[in-house]
Amino acid sequence: MEIEQRLRAVFVAALDLGEDADVETLEYRGIEEWDSVGHMTLVAAIEDEFDVQLDTDQVLDLSSFKVALDLVRQLRG
Amino acid sequence: MTLIGDGARLVDVASGRTLGHDELVGEVARAAEAFSALPEGVLFARVPIDLPGVLRYLGAFEAARAVALIDPALSAESLGKLIARFRPGAVLAAPDALPPPGYRADDDGNWVRTSPDGVAPHPDLAVLLATSGSTGAPHFARLSRHAILANAHAIAEVLGLGPDDVAPTSLPPHYSYGMSVLNSHLARGAAIAIEPSGILGRPFWDAVSDTGCTSIAAVPYHYEMLRRLDFDPSRYPRLRTLTQAGGRLRPELVTEFDARMRAAGGGLYVMYGQTEASPRMATMPAEMLAHKPDSVGPAIPGGQFGIQLGDGTETTHPKITGEVVYRGPNVMMGYAEDAAGLALDDELGGVLPTGDLGYLDEDGFLFVTGRLKRIGKVFGNRLNLDDLEQAARTTELGIEIVAAVPADDKVVLFAEGVAADVCKQASRALGERLHLHASGFDVRSIDVVPLLASGKIDYQALTELI
Repeated sequence: MEIEQRLRAVFVAALDLGEDADVETLEYRGIEEWDSVGHMTLVAAIEDEFDVQLDTDQVLDLSSFKVALDLVRQLRG
Repeated sequence: MTLIGDGARLVDVASGRTLGHDELVGEVARAAEAFSALPEGVLFARVPIDLPGVLRYLGAFEAARAVALIDPALSAESLGKLIARFRPGAVLAAPDALPPPGYRADDDGNWVRTSPDGVAPHPDLAVLLATSGSTGAPHFARLSRHAILANAHAIAEVLGLGPDDVAPTSLPPHYSYGMSVLNSHLARGAAIAIEPSGILGRPFWDAVSDTGCTSIAAVPYHYEMLRRLDFDPSRYPRLRTLTQAGGRLRPELVTEFDARMRAAGGGLYVMYGQTEASPRMATMPAEMLAHKPDSVGPAIPGGQFGIQLGDGTETTHPKITGEVVYRGPNVMMGYAEDAAGLALDDELGGVLPTGDLGYLDEDGFLFVTGRLKRIGKVFGNRLNLDDLEQAARTTELGIEIVAAVPADDKVVLFAEGVAADVCKQASRALGERLHLHASGFDVRSIDVVPLLASGKIDYQALTELI
C-alpha cells in the first residue's frame, strides 16, 4: 500500500476519526481528538506501522498530516 | 493584599510583548474597573491560556469580585446549566452565541445579566473552581481571598521562588494547579510566560528557551510524555525545577526525573494538594526526594496534617494509617451547589478531611496510600468510580453490569458480555460526557464480572486482570 494511504489509516485509527475524515488537512490541536494524549497515541502508532523511531525533535515537530508524511518518507527513504 | 507582587510580569509569547510590573498593574486595574461595574453576583470568566484570559482572572481578583474560572472548552450545554444554577453577574469572554434568557451581550464580548435574580457572594469569596471528576452536576470549591494569597506565598516559599523566576503556562488557569503556578509566581514578583501549546508543542519549548523559564509544572501523564521525548533539562540552562502534582507519579518516573534534574543541577518537587486546599498541602523538598521517594513531603508552611482513625480520634503518631486531615489557612470555605451557596460563610473552619488514606513518619512527612472512596484518575482528573460505572450504564449502549478499576492515569471498565464495538462506543461516550480524551476510558468486554461471597464486585480480582 502507498505510504500515504497507510499513514492515513494510522491517523484514523490512532485519533479515532471517522473513515471519511479530512485527514490530509489535520493539524495538531486543530481538532479535539488530536490533543497531547492523542499525539502520544499517534506517535506510537506511526512508529509501529512504519517500524521507525522518532526522536524528540521529530515528535515535537509532528504538527500536521503533511509533516508526518514527509517525515515517514524521509525516515524510510 | 494583592496577587501582583513587586516585579511581577507577564510575557505574552504570541505577541512578543512583556508587561512589566507597572504596565501589568495598569492593565489589571483597567480590567478590574470594568468588572466592578457589572451586575451583582459571581463572575464566570472563561480563561483560555492567553494574555486576555490571564488579565481577566487577575482583574476580577483585584476587583474583589468572586470569579469562577471556567474551562473555555466547556460545552454550550454545560455552560448553560451552570449559568442557570449560579446566575452569574456576567460571563466574561462569552461564547460566540446568543446569550441565555435574562442576559444580554455587551460590546466587550461578555454576557451581562439583566434579570434581578443574582445572589451577592460572601465578601471573603475570591475564586470558584469546579471540582473535576464527578459525573454528577459539577460544583464549585469556594476559595477565599485569604486562602489564595496564603497558598501562593507558602508555595513560593517552599520552592524558593523570587523575581528571577519564570514559569510557562504548562497547565490552564481553570485547573487549580495551573492557577497556583500563576499565583505563586506573581505573588513573589516572578514572571509567567504565556504560551498555550503545551508540553508536546514546539512553540512551548521555544518559549521555555527564549524566556529563560526556571520552573515547569507537570502532571503525571506529562511525565510519561517527557520520558517519551527523552527530555533533557540541560537543553534549557535556566531551568532549575520541575514540579509535579495532580496525582501519584509512578515510582520509576520519580526516580528517573529526580536523577535527570539533579544531573542538570536542578531538582524535582513532588507535591500533594486538592482543589479544596487552594490547592497545595505538601511539597517534598527536592534534596530529600532520594531519601523518601514515596513521600509527598511535610505540610507546607502554615499547614499541618493529622491522621483520623476509624473511631474519630486524630493522631500525628508515626506509621498509623487513617484519613489524612489537613489544617491551614488555605482550606476552602466549602462547596457551592447553586447561587444561594455563594453567599455562605466558611463551613470548614480551616479543617479539610481529604478523603485520602495515608500516614506520617517520625519527621512529619506524609505518605499517601489510597482513597477512602473508590477514586480513579484520568489524565490528572479525579473521578468517582461508582459514578463512572453509573455513567457507563446510562450510555444507552446496553451496558448493564460494569466494574471500573483505576489503572495508572486511566480507568479500565469491565463490561459484562458486550461486543467490542460497544466497548469502543462506550469509551467515546464517556470521553464526551466527561470532557476527557476517550483513551482514558479503557472499556473491555468480560464474560462475567467476578463477585465476592458477599455478592459485591470483586475489584481485587479485576485489578489483577489489568
